[in-house]
Amino acid sequence: MDLTREQISDGLRRALYVTNERVETAIFLALALEKPLLIEGPAGAGKTEVAKVLAEILHTELIRLQCYEGLDEARALYEWNYQKQLLRMQAGEQQGLRWEELNEHIFSRDYLLERPLLKAITAPSRVVLLIDEIDKADEEFEAFLLELLSDFQVSVPELGTLKAHERPAVILTSNRARELSEALRRRCLHLFIDFPGAEQERKIIELKVPELDAKLAAEAARFVGAIRKLGLRKPPSIAETLDWARALVRLGVRELDTDAVRTALGVLLKHEDDRVKVESKASALAPHRR
Amino acid sequence: MSPLRDQLVSFIAALRAAGVRISVAESIDSMNAVAAVGLERAPMHEALAAALIKDEADRAIFDESFNRFFAAPRANRGEHPDHRGDAVSAAGGRGRPGENPFALPRDDALARDREEKSLPSEAKPAKQAAAARRHGAEKGKDAEPGKEAEPAKDARRLSDRMRGRRERGEAQAPEESPTPGIDATRVARIRAIERMPFDKFSDLDYDEARDALAPLIRRFRIRLGRRLRLARTGRIDFRRTIRAALQRGGALIDLNFRARRPRHVDLVILADISGSVRYAAQLMLELMAGARGCFRRVSSFVYVDHLAEADFEDGHLVMTPALDLYARSDFGRVLGELWERRSGLLTRAAIVVIMGDGRNNRMPARADLVREIVRACRGVVWLNPEDPARWGTGDSAIKQYAREVSALVPSRNLRELQVALAAIA
Repeated sequence: MDLTREQISDGLRRALYVTNERVETAIFLALALEKPLLIEGPAGAGKTEVAKVLAEILHTELIRLQCYEGLDEARALYEWNYQKQLLRMQAGEQQGLRWEELNEHIFSRDYLLERPLLKAITAPSRVVLLIDEIDKADEEFEAFLLELLSDFQVSVPELGTLKAHERPAVILTSNRARELSEALRRRCLHLFIDFPGAEQERKIIELKVPELDAKLAAEAARFVGAIRKLGLRKPPSIAETLDWARALVRLGVRELDTDAVRTALGVLLKHEDDRVKVESKASALAPHRR
Repeated sequence: MSPLRDQLVSFIAALRAAGVRISVAESIDSMNAVAAVGLERAPMHEALAAALIKDEADRAIFDESFNRFFAAPRANRGEHPDHRGDAVSAAGGRGRPGENPFALPRDDALARDREEKSLPSEAKPAKQAAAARRHGAEKGKDAEPGKEAEPAKDARRLSDRMRGRRERGEAQAPEESPTPGIDATRVARIRAIERMPFDKFSDLDYDEARDALAPLIRRFRIRLGRRLRLARTGRIDFRRTIRAALQRGGALIDLNFRARRPRHVDLVILADISGSVRYAAQLMLELMAGARGCFRRVSSFVYVDHLAEADFEDGHLVMTPALDLYARSDFGRVLGELWERRSGLLTRAAIVVIMGDGRNNRMPARADLVREIVRACRGVVWLNPEDPARWGTGDSAIKQYAREVSALVPSRNLRELQVALAAIA
């Protein structure tokens, strides 16, 4: 099933994902051309969310592979269920089965533990495969992915080649902890998601935290946008902005003055030096002074 | 469709010429992408970007080239106000000047100039032809009402415009390379500049080398990241191996290895920026500044007769305190300053890279200090931009240093410099 661009922008809106033309076009193309989509951008700008929302739009399952250093094929692709095989062998011995007969049994799909990549390939219908933070994985793993992403097939020596019935929609995300290889980039479509502007962030806050007063939401969005420009160690993500907005609601804040900014700063900033930096400038940044 | 294809091919060629790396597969993707989204300007813009631009740093070049190739219809162009401008996007002319890390190559700017000059005289016939064709289309529409779909119209208008451009292009392009896709002259120039010895550089060559540097930096960064990552210990993690074996009846089937720690490398760079070697030093500093992320800490210094901290701001070298560039270089004194004031940087994790010709104006060479530094650090690598045949002649003290440093590498041109730097990590 192919979606039109209108359906996608509709779906994004219904999933409360505020976005722009660039994101819509990239998602549409990834589906239309059946190509993986590589999303880059600062942490917390909503990269992973794209995959979740896409699964929602397609009414399908999201299979997620979280990458980390040392991730190998056994964790990502498949592994033989060794315990089960051992049990089967012991049972077989007692029944007096010959090795060839046993062999057929213990190397069948029943004894295969499917890890995310294989699960995405063997799924009966189209799924969304999210390969999260690919930059954290090793180079070897990236090279291994190349084969998978171009053909969507995997060969298991004992079983032969498994090919995807329906190509999964693949989303890769990267925080640029290291440079990805050109080969991987070449095979993907590319999308850069930056932090939203004040207006877009206000819309996000209004959609997700409707309890917050509209005027306050606009001020909060502007404030967060301003502190992201301070060159902090960890600029606040969109999720943290939303948490902060919820905190403001719970604290019963009426207007964003210096004190209100100070009380809930821990929700927004997760480093002590960041907090000190923002607090020292709080009076200049807060829209209202006291 | 073929004028559009040609237009896309030359668009891609222009991007390649501006230093964006685009493979054949990606150019095919871009055609498919345009086929999928249609010819409306804004979606086409984003579709081409998604297919062609794989590094956000190239986005500014892309936006500019796109605006040049697929210009939005002007407000006064076209006779049908009801159809005009439906495709003109909100994104039209959206350039983001702050983001452009690489300057556009000069030949592109020239071409643009030429194009703009030639526009008033040559655009006219194309415009008339377009108007005539549109008139014809209008007639056709009268005959078969409702058959003329909006996208088809857009397509025609777009291809009209492109035909106009093509005609213009043919009229003025005798000196341009006949095969689109490869700008042979530019590639040749980059090759030449890569091989050109630093001591033959002029200011103009230096500028050109800096243009060529942008794609080099990217390749260099990838290469460096790979080298640093491949260093592994390969030691077995006994505890995890036994735990895994317990699940399998005690059979040691899977060996677990200790997690690899990324190798941390601190870099201390000393570059001579006195007249004789300053181009080499500046290009090296710029190359290393681009690869900063691959190291844990990079401290750059420049020297003539004193040590000064170096930094890059908007592609310009900034040093604190400022140095007298015309002083007589005295590396012995510089070594002393480094050893006394900056010994905190000289740790086991640090690699010291020295770029200079070792011509010390017959001042004390202080090679003993180099020996001390080698002992304190992981290594000292000396890059010498001078021809090896001239090492040790005249006032060159390089032979004295050569005995002490871990490696002495000639780096007479940009290519040698790259290879030498990548080997350091």
